[in-house]
Amino acid sequence: MNGPSASFALAAHLVLLSSISFGGFPSVLPDVHNFVAANGWVTDREFANFFAVSQVMPGPNMILMMSFIGLKVGGIPGAIASALATFGPPCLMYYTAYRLWDRFRNAPWQRIVRRGLAPLTIGLVIAGGYVMARTGDAGWQSAMVTAAAVGLMLGTRINPLWILLTGGALGGLGLL
Amino acid sequence: MTQTAAANGSGGRVSLGALFAGFLKVSLCGFGGGLVWARRIVVERQRWMDDQEFAETLTLCQFMPGPNIVGITVCVGSKLRGAIGAVTAVSGFILIPWTVGLSLGGLYLYYAHLAVLQNILGGLSATAAGLLIATGIRLLMPHRSRLTALLFATLAFVGMALTKLPLLVVLLGLAPLSIAVAGIASARAP
Repeated sequence: MNGPSASFALAAHLVLLSSISFGGFPSVLPDVHNFVAANGWVTDREFANFFAVSQVMPGPNMILMMSFIGLKVGGIPGAIASALATFGPPCLMYYTAYRLWDRFRNAPWQRIVRRGLAPLTIGLVIAGGYVMARTGDAGWQSAMVTAAAVGLMLGTRINPLWILLTGGALGGLGLL
Repeated sequence: MTQTAAANGSGGRVSLGALFAGFLKVSLCGFGGGLVWARRIVVERQRWMDDQEFAETLTLCQFMPGPNIVGITVCVGSKLRGAIGAVTAVSGFILIPWTVGLSLGGLYLYYAHLAVLQNILGGLSATAAGLLIATGIRLLMPHRSRLTALLFATLAFVGMALTKLPLLVVLLGLAPLSIAVAGIASARAP
């Protein structure tokens, strides 16, 4: 527990990040990691645990993951503040943008901006996965599991939940 | 497209309860692939939007920061019932799943120091990282023939994962360049 001022600092940082999280929250995961690690609030191990648990829950994964960090930093109020900071600003923007949608739907500049931003977003998402793969105290076995998950996700139509459960089972059997 | 409160293909006013329940379902079903369920419920089951409008809305959401699926939720709620509809739909999407997730997850994390749970979490974490990387690669596929897109994706990856620069620095440094290159490319090939 680190108290209210830490919760506030975390929430303020999440407001900033959620406002620029083009392509979804995974693209800002590396920055969240750097921020909480620099402040000494959450260890690498805990960060990886939060990520793993939030991924096996249904519903809003990233909101949940930020709430786990908030819970660690400032208890239940910290968790609520983190959740609001994660989905509040984007919701306001979505609402406003939807109202303006008709006006700029066919503007050529919008297409160019989208084409320019898309590759950056994608690079950031992959970076998020890479950083996650490195944070668990990962040996070569874990790297194999990560690689296998990439392969199964891309090459098959298996429900990702089964892939996750298999990874968890391998870990539970002490094989990683 | 109309943005008045009661506009809806099948006529009649969509109840706030139906909005709440609809997006609660999207949320609870959406392991990994939330978008699949959003389309199924919004377009096929409830007919709150047709396919084209849904696709347009998704484009808008991809253009904005934040989780796209929450964006769809806000837009559908806003279309059907205005501001109160947006709030209701988002509440349906988040409130119950978040409470359940935080309680169960919190309980689990409380015992996370136990060796077996620690190992399970390690396995889950390695797998989840792989799924995230795969999602990024999937997103990259439509752009694979654009050399500049691959270059900028790589630069963003390196900036964030290897040099550990703050996101704002990476985005503000690369975005203007990337947009400028896309602008030049589209001017050459209209």
